[in-house]
Amino acid sequence: MTERTTQSGIPLRPFYTAADVASGGDDEGARERLNDPGEYPFTRGRLASPRRRESWIHQELSGEGTARRSNEQFRQLIEKGARGLDVIGDAPTMSAMDPDHPLARHAVGNTGVSICRFQDFEDLYADLPLNELTFSHSLPPGAYTVAAIHRVAKGRGFDPKELRGSTILLPAYCEDCSYQIHMPYDLRMRLALDSIEFAATEMPRFHAFLEDTYYISDGGLNGVEEMALGFVEIREIVRTLIARGVDVDSFAPRIAILVNCRMDLFEEVAKIRATRRIFARMMREEFGAKDPRSWSCAITAHTSGLSLTMAQPVNNVARGAVQGLALALAGVQAVEISCFDEAYRTPSHDSHMVSLRTQQIVQLEAGADRVADPLGGSYFVESLTDELERRILDMVADIESKGTLKEVSESGWFRQLFQTAMTRRAKAIQDGSETQVGLNAFEIPEDEDKLLRDHSESKLEPCWDRIDEIRKFKDDRDAGGVAEHFARIQEVGAATEVNLIEPIADALEADLTQGEIAGALRLGVGEVYDPLGQMEPPV
Amino acid sequence: MAADRPVRILLSILGLDQHEAGAFAVARLLRDAGMEVIYLGRFGTPATVVDSALEEGVDVIGLSCHSWEYLYYLDELFELLKSRALDIPVVVGGSVLSQDDKNEIQAKGVAATFGPGADAGEIVQQIRHLAESRGAA
Repeated sequence: MTERTTQSGIPLRPFYTAADVASGGDDEGARERLNDPGEYPFTRGRLASPRRRESWIHQELSGEGTARRSNEQFRQLIEKGARGLDVIGDAPTMSAMDPDHPLARHAVGNTGVSICRFQDFEDLYADLPLNELTFSHSLPPGAYTVAAIHRVAKGRGFDPKELRGSTILLPAYCEDCSYQIHMPYDLRMRLALDSIEFAATEMPRFHAFLEDTYYISDGGLNGVEEMALGFVEIREIVRTLIARGVDVDSFAPRIAILVNCRMDLFEEVAKIRATRRIFARMMREEFGAKDPRSWSCAITAHTSGLSLTMAQPVNNVARGAVQGLALALAGVQAVEISCFDEAYRTPSHDSHMVSLRTQQIVQLEAGADRVADPLGGSYFVESLTDELERRILDMVADIESKGTLKEVSESGWFRQLFQTAMTRRAKAIQDGSETQVGLNAFEIPEDEDKLLRDHSESKLEPCWDRIDEIRKFKDDRDAGGVAEHFARIQEVGAATEVNLIEPIADALEADLTQGEIAGALRLGVGEVYDPLGQMEPPV
Repeated sequence: MAADRPVRILLSILGLDQHEAGAFAVARLLRDAGMEVIYLGRFGTPATVVDSALEEGVDVIGLSCHSWEYLYYLDELFELLKSRALDIPVVVGGSVLSQDDKNEIQAKGVAATFGPGADAGEIVQQIRHLAESRGAA
């Protein structure tokens, strides 16, 4: 390699000096770009000092099999010191399809939890203190989660206003990077907007506006592309909500970004710092937010599954520690470290434990978060933060010059971008320009690669029983209620002025499933019930 | 001349396995090597794969996997090929292929497997070799 660059391709000098920092150490410039932690533009962090005992929320992505089994998993994690839960759905759940869909046959419960009805949500949260833990959800579309957790909380006597947690949004890019929910752009966007608007008043501590840039980045896009696409989507949603007449300060404090953390330590730190600054300036200067809480973005992070290898799985423990350190140095609100078996499966009990312990060691032994923004003022990190900010904003402007988000999305431009990035990344691994130790450097023969291998490669069987359970559930439920709510969802699907969350919550409580609600919404907007052509409407 | 025609390969991903990164990369690799790639994309089933393979007259069927669903679809795929008297080699590549998986599916009849660290040259060479036996070059 002749030229050293960051992972996103920013050329690097041999070393950095004061001359490389845009503010040049000048007091006014420094204040404008950096200021202190907890102060606008929040480059140096959201809070002045890391909250004493709490620090970031330690959580681990979990969920397998049925909701009951996943609830067991949650309890074990909490017992081991997790402070929040982070639920991921299996492939059918992530696609808004029920387990009895023919295409779901071999994918139920083996890559996450299978959720399709109200009872599943009740089982998922059973006996957990809904007012004490934070519940993060990778269960698209988030509208189902918002509707369901609100009802479950009420049913169990908790005030939904106390609920904390988040749910990811999937309006623009999901189709291009493996979360195909088979809904047209407008419907995806509406589900997102309705969730945010509903939560702003009904669940004001809950982040219904979690912009998920993790899955963008883990599709192979670099840090600049990751954040540019994230900001394009945030800006579109903010603009649309404002156009609906929603006060920006009613929802902006609850915007969070779920970023990826790959292996380029300093670039990941700088990316998060640049993201906070871009967000603060955008909210205050461009969207006119007045409440200082609207200017400081909550950032949660998952460490990159793409950066982990099946070869020599124990090496992934070291990767997790470096990534955990990067996130502690950047200062984020919650962390999930992908487990050493991530390249092969959703985490086992033991691999969960290693990731959780890694977080605890980074925080409590290494003390990486004892002061806010420990890298602030580093010539290199400040220079990289400035450069990333510039490149991200340039790309945002470039994308926005191509047309509305809907037009750009429907034109296939994003799909092309993802395709190019995926191919580029595969080539970088093939030609060795991106090193993955154990995979394309320092390989060892397969028969010597034993450590943690059997453990990492143990499989989860699909839950075929669950398919029968759901079929029986559908046969046994009250057909009248199903028909009534199916019709209602179609009707509100067509009536764009109605917020969808209450009708969805009612339908879930009447035992309509997520797949059926998705189908009814599609019918409501003039699409087919099942785009894969295999399921018939329930009525 | 039959032997001068390019290799035709179908690429598909089965069930709800939706990560396309590997499939895109391999499609590009094979196209760059002069092959004709029929990219069926996601949401494939054994039936759609076999129908398309027949319709397109492909030399090789390629399956890309990022979940374990392929494992459970392979028997059905081979049965369908057999019932239609089709002798098209099936190759499987993907990020989740362990050595045990490779052994297991090769025993079922998969002609070649490519794991996460597979060499690009080797992928091209093996597919070309499989296709050559069917008159492609």
